[in-house]
Amino acid sequence: MQRTRSNRLTGLAYVAPALVFVLVFTVYPLGRMVWMSLHNWSLIAEPRFIGLDNFRQAFSDRQFWTSFLFTLKYTALITPVLIIGGYLLALLTAPVSRVRAFTRTVIFVPVVIGLGVSSLLWYWLFSTDFGVINRILLDLGLIDQPVLWLGVDAGTSNFAISTSVVWKVIGFGMILFVGAIQAVPAEITEASLVDGAGYWQRIGRVVLPLTMRTVLLVTLVSVIGSLLAFDQFYIMTAGQPQNETATSVFFVYLNSFPYLKLGYGAALSLILAVTILAFTIVQLVLTRRSES
Amino acid sequence: MRIRQRVALLTVAVLLGAAGCSQEAEAPESTAVAATTGCASSGELTMWERSGGNKDMVDMLVAAWNAKNPDCKVALTYIPHTEMVGKIAQGIASGQVPDLMGMDLIYAPQFEKAGQLVDLTDRLTGWPELTTASKGHMTVATFEDRLYGVPLYADVSALFYNKDLFTKAGLDPAKPPTSLPELRAYADKITALGGDVKGYYLPGNCAGCNIFTVGPLMWASGAKIEAAGPGDEPLVGDGVKQVLQFERDMVKAGNVHDGDRTENGETFHLQFGSGKVGMMGTGNFNITLARQQNPSMQFGITLLPGMTPNSSASFIGGDLVVVPKGSKRVNDAVNFMKFLLSDDVQVEVYAKALNLTTRADMVDNKYFKEEPLVQDVAKALTVGRTPYTLTFFEQINSPQGPWLKMLQRAYYTDDNLDTVIADAKKEMSDIAAKS
Repeated sequence: MQRTRSNRLTGLAYVAPALVFVLVFTVYPLGRMVWMSLHNWSLIAEPRFIGLDNFRQAFSDRQFWTSFLFTLKYTALITPVLIIGGYLLALLTAPVSRVRAFTRTVIFVPVVIGLGVSSLLWYWLFSTDFGVINRILLDLGLIDQPVLWLGVDAGTSNFAISTSVVWKVIGFGMILFVGAIQAVPAEITEASLVDGAGYWQRIGRVVLPLTMRTVLLVTLVSVIGSLLAFDQFYIMTAGQPQNETATSVFFVYLNSFPYLKLGYGAALSLILAVTILAFTIVQLVLTRRSES
Repeated sequence: MRIRQRVALLTVAVLLGAAGCSQEAEAPESTAVAATTGCASSGELTMWERSGGNKDMVDMLVAAWNAKNPDCKVALTYIPHTEMVGKIAQGIASGQVPDLMGMDLIYAPQFEKAGQLVDLTDRLTGWPELTTASKGHMTVATFEDRLYGVPLYADVSALFYNKDLFTKAGLDPAKPPTSLPELRAYADKITALGGDVKGYYLPGNCAGCNIFTVGPLMWASGAKIEAAGPGDEPLVGDGVKQVLQFERDMVKAGNVHDGDRTENGETFHLQFGSGKVGMMGTGNFNITLARQQNPSMQFGITLLPGMTPNSSASFIGGDLVVVPKGSKRVNDAVNFMKFLLSDDVQVEVYAKALNLTTRADMVDNKYFKEEPLVQDVAKALTVGRTPYTLTFFEQINSPQGPWLKMLQRAYYTDDNLDTVIADAKKEMSDIAAKS
């Protein structure tokens, strides 16, 4: 009995640093956020308890729904591009050779650039007056007038921003896929080759099922990243036109800081966190099913 | 029991002693002393200021103070413009505040109402410099008849016009437009030059640029824009609809570049210097920029007009110097304010570097006399105003706010203007009602 208790204390001592870390940096901030969401909490005035009013306000706030639905739409549009595009690039660059390794590096380089920096870069590339993209299209005779890429039409803005994001992050999925594809045992693919399977049959029947865990992981990361999209929209369109390209996090940011409504911002953040949690659970269930 | 009583008594004594000590420590700073332009006590003063286009000028002001006061130099920290409000709020909440700070004047009423700035009324009362200090700054530095700061620098809006294009279009470069109908007629002629030239510039995706340059057109036409607080009606007066119609007609007539629709403020300051715009509402900061960008371009400056001839207005923006609650050096912060408003600094620092003086009576100085453009733009100080509201960002400055929504619907759609104004009015009133 004495020994068991001692073992438990020893075990607790081992996990204590991690436990303290999680309590301080995850549990406490989360609890604090929940507490804030129940208050009229300005950044510069005394907080006042208002119960669930912030949540009621959020659900009846038209801009909240506009931002939320736009975020879901953006996520639904960009995720397949990142997954399929990343996987195809991985298939192209996975075989071991110098040229392919160099290509992998080139595609991966934008991943290490900050999203804010890359958004600013693309903002200037897409600029109507100063941007090189319109210049090239005009010089090639593909357009007669400069295209108003950002902030005028929601569809065009979304396309332009998605292009910049794909350039920025597609390399991340590709690298993970390359690792997964290279981990597929050679004897399995060779066996399918002996059985007369063509290239796409090998990919579809052998490689893809064996790399499905990675596909689901990249999907999960991509979905979470897209639901939390902020920098690119803040910098490139600021939510325009008519707030049709304003994301949920952008709305959270505006309320929390410039509007000084920290309590309302906390409530919005919690709603977003629950949404992300729901997506994560679905993804994890799918992952387990694919494993079984 | 006796021990408990002793402990209790000891605790009370310690607390009383601590309270007494803290009162003694506060006493020197809470007493209003006659302000000077020098140090009240020695040791470094900490100051926060937002980063931005006026950094060079603030650096010069601080350098001038530091040269005069080596025993109490100001240590300046720049905070990114977009993080300033959050940073100040965090500082106040944690008690980690600087001794003084520059604050975007538009946010001052919010902080004054929340009791987060030191009331300087008793310390500043009777200063002759304040009678001529920028009206817009002094308006927002005041809350319920108490004064919380003085101007740090001023940005005013005015109409810049390209004299070269005026001449080419057969217009007299010495006679800029004095009313909006005249401005429209001039713009038509300049646009008719063809090529890549347009008569006018309209920032289509920038709330702040529009309140700075289109807001004054409404004020000059007798309108009111923002709701000051709960129950106050926004967007009052025929001038609102007249100006929206004017801008819509300008867009439809092709007097603005298509690309202007995407302007979110990033390239606003580069547009006039491109030489492709006949007339544009912009700020005094554009004088130097346009010259650097296009040295051969001849241009002039006039006040932003309204619907009737010779009506004019301007937006007075910029920063205030304020003292956050918790500052340990209030007397020195006040001395720094006295220094900023002194005749010598107004002329030898502000004016010498061709920045606007923050006192109207200092405009008539030797440096401005040599630079007519600065003299022209300085006239804006006399007709300018600064909106006063506790929810400026939500109502006006936000990219998601009703002001920009209203403007974009007016500029780029055929929606009924009465409906457009009514929608914006309701949204602004709702925001103000919660302030």
